[in-house]
Amino acid sequence: MAERQTIDARGAFCPGPLMELIAALKLASVGDEVDILSSDKGSATDIPAWCAKVGHQVVETGERDGYWSVVVRKAK
Amino acid sequence: MKIEGKRPAKSRDRAISGESMSPKPLYIMLCSAEHEKIQLAAMIASVAAVSDRPVEVFVTMNALLPFERGKSPAERYHGGHFHDLFMTKNVPDAIDLFGQGKMLGEMKMWACSLVLDLQHWECDTHLTEDLFDGPMGLAKFLADAESGELITI
Repeated sequence: MAERQTIDARGAFCPGPLMELIAALKLASVGDEVDILSSDKGSATDIPAWCAKVGHQVVETGERDGYWSVVVRKAK
Repeated sequence: MKIEGKRPAKSRDRAISGESMSPKPLYIMLCSAEHEKIQLAAMIASVAAVSDRPVEVFVTMNALLPFERGKSPAERYHGGHFHDLFMTKNVPDAIDLFGQGKMLGEMKMWACSLVLDLQHWECDTHLTEDLFDGPMGLAKFLADAESGELITI
């Protein structure tokens, strides 16, 4: 059964949140989701661009109270 | 976070042979010891490597000095407008970024053999652990770089 985990990378600067997401996806199973929380402005565009490049799926992206949440499903 | 495993270095060979649509390898020549430039090289190398692009980094001239084994970040990094902010904010350490690029992607790092000779250094004993794949001469790096894109920092 697919699982969702949250990685709180708020406070980390570029490319910290992306690297934390990638490390988490490396350990996850196909179908699992990672919700990465980031206060780095670039993450809102960098993470979807990276997912499109390597073939993972962005489930949702949203701005919260001063940070962004990007949920990524491991697709391969 | 410890990550086990590493992808085999195959896509660079495929790119060179033209067997697939693999992206061109990225070759980075790092020749500045300025903190900003090392940071930029580490960001480019690590992000490209984790984006399925093979990367090779050639570290030469005084850029190799910050990679001396045993140095603290304060001893390692100097220079550039953003140096103080890098050191005080939660900006990823450049050495850690290079390491993550190697661990999570397809990336190699080479130490300039001229600088090693001049410094009387060996990769295995004088440079940061588990980062460099060995010494390399400039001619070999330039020959390899003909198969991809070369940027110099």
